[in-house]
Amino acid sequence: MNSSANNDDSYSSLTADTLTAVVYTPQSTRDQGWHIWRTMIREILNSRELIWRLILRDISVRYRQSVLGYVWAILPPVVTVTIFAFLTDSRIIPISQTSLPYVVYALWSIGVWQLFAGCLTACTNSLISAGPLVTKVNFPKEALVTAAIGQPLFDFLIRLVPIICVFIWYDVTPRWQAVFLPLTLIPSILLALGLGFVLSITNLVLRDVSNILTMALTFGMFLTPALYPPPTSWPFGLINILNPFSPLLIASQDLIVYGSLTMPQAFLFSCLFSILVFLVGWRLFHLTMPRISIHG
Amino acid sequence: MSEEALIKVERASKKYCRSLKRSMLYGVQDVIREVLTLDGNAERLRKNEFWAVDDVSFEVMRGECLGVIGRNGAGKSTLLKLLSGVIPPDKGKLTIRGQVGALIELGAGFHPMLSGRENIYINGAILGLSKKEIDQKFDEIVAFAELSEFIDTPVKFYSSGMYVRLGFAVAAHFRPDLLLVDEVLAVGDLAFRMKCFQHFLDLKNAGSTIVLVSHNMIDVNRVCDRVIVMEGGKKTHDGGVSAGTATYESHLLKTSGPVNERAPNGAASIERVELFDLDGKPQSDFETGDDLLAKVTISAVRNAPQARLIVHVMTPSLGTLGAFSSPHKGFTFDIVPPGVIIRFSIRAMPLLIGSYSLRLNLYGPEIKDFLHTVTNAASFKIVGPPVDTFGYGVCHTVCFEHDWELIEGSTVNGSINSRRSRT
Repeated sequence: MNSSANNDDSYSSLTADTLTAVVYTPQSTRDQGWHIWRTMIREILNSRELIWRLILRDISVRYRQSVLGYVWAILPPVVTVTIFAFLTDSRIIPISQTSLPYVVYALWSIGVWQLFAGCLTACTNSLISAGPLVTKVNFPKEALVTAAIGQPLFDFLIRLVPIICVFIWYDVTPRWQAVFLPLTLIPSILLALGLGFVLSITNLVLRDVSNILTMALTFGMFLTPALYPPPTSWPFGLINILNPFSPLLIASQDLIVYGSLTMPQAFLFSCLFSILVFLVGWRLFHLTMPRISIHG
Repeated sequence: MSEEALIKVERASKKYCRSLKRSMLYGVQDVIREVLTLDGNAERLRKNEFWAVDDVSFEVMRGECLGVIGRNGAGKSTLLKLLSGVIPPDKGKLTIRGQVGALIELGAGFHPMLSGRENIYINGAILGLSKKEIDQKFDEIVAFAELSEFIDTPVKFYSSGMYVRLGFAVAAHFRPDLLLVDEVLAVGDLAFRMKCFQHFLDLKNAGSTIVLVSHNMIDVNRVCDRVIVMEGGKKTHDGGVSAGTATYESHLLKTSGPVNERAPNGAASIERVELFDLDGKPQSDFETGDDLLAKVTISAVRNAPQARLIVHVMTPSLGTLGAFSSPHKGFTFDIVPPGVIIRFSIRAMPLLIGSYSLRLNLYGPEIKDFLHTVTNAASFKIVGPPVDTFGYGVCHTVCFEHDWELIEGSTVNGSINSRRSRT
């Protein structure tokens, strides 16, 4: 049927009398209506192999020319938390009681935050760093953006090592419900991916985007209850609720501490919001990529 | 092979913007229009925009090799990008059948830190191949690229030639129905280029269609069945290869036009040069071995005694092939106002298919008496007979008279003696 589905046997397409035709017109993506989703899903499924290869590439390349290697994934959050633990301990910054020992609380929360922030940054820069691939080669570019989450995800897994260490050191036992933690992480990855789809394309046209993002994420970290407990006082309580990432983080903290959600509605809303952002971002990406590729 | 068109291009156009800032603005506008499904102004040109490909139509059949030639910026690469589907057309329609392989940017997905081996797998995945397929072709690819020693070396230590060889080997070693090649072989050495051409021919014989963009007329002659000449985004020729390359080269000459260098306050200058065949008819197309007559009109404001003319025969790509002067044949002439007309002939031109031009120098008796030089004073084409680029006939520029005989040893079946050479 489809030419790209013939990959298993490239000879067959040569001998077949009729080959599937691909038609390029100025409106070819727009004319398909709702069927476009089928095309988009098929393109992503056909790119499984490519996405996996790109993820492996990024991971294996990342620390190849460094002595400390994977330690670099662990060091930044550990340093941040150490500084904040010192500041809190010495009462320079008064931070109210957290639901877990402060170091445990902060290290876990920073880890989740950096998973989100890392995914968003990597996705946003994925097209630019791919260089001539974007402008010269025809393949589903969604693969580049999607594969960008591999590296931050892998870094997160490494960061679990010091996190588990502090859990043991402070003698904190998570509730058994912590096995559902991935369900709180997946929406945040989808949220990052959806935003990343839009930002990566915008970044191709306007390089300001990656600079703005770096700044916004610095703010975002302090607007998210990662280094302090969820605020309840005005106006930070409101910001906390409006921030779509906060309920996801709080849900992960809740699962560890209480084994149940303290803000189930907010969590559900954030999940739906993340899925919506992901779908809209993906659709926009698919729609605009062909027009934008010359800017790569 | 069935006669089916793998490529069908119908009135396709693509526009580009000259200014970066504006292109960003237009990019944002286009995206917003696309999102709101407004009909854009795709069909109109906005400020600073131009048609890089302008209303181009053609078809390419299965098993055919199409050459695309033209000057820099003529729209060749944009046309290839349209064919590969990287960019959509702004007007018109392209129908592409079958699996497409594009040799547009070799090694585009290579990561400098990774070894050649790892890069083969990644590049293959970008081209849509599964691990199994690459496993099967791996040894063949490495052997073709001649990189078995360096296959586990990071590609950042590769020379540019090695880089291109690996890129070509990966992209060309699965059997595409349609192979798009964009001027990628310029980097490889001669042996590798010949290997690539052999590979093209093998693919073609197996039924693949090839579109080759090149500036090298010899390459185009070697593999293409048909040629499209692009000029300012438009298709100006579609047909025979030698006619196409000659059209392109003569276009190169025409656009440069006659270039004059005059002595300040010179007594005489060359007004025009006209070419004729033996019968005295104005002519610009000749065949190998034809005679050429030229009429040179010289105007004068003062007397210029004992003048001489020097004629250079040139090609756009090789420069001067040879030159001859009138005193060599004992011919000098006195120029008196208003001027004189001179005629000279070139007998039995030993030139093969291509475009040629004449440069004329007008001197007085000594070298200090320089009067006038006209480059591209006149141009002509050699349009036949066909050349052979596979080593079974004559090719390139000059047609040599040659004879062969066996003087020692024996022939297997007398074939060497019996195959008398003819030029």
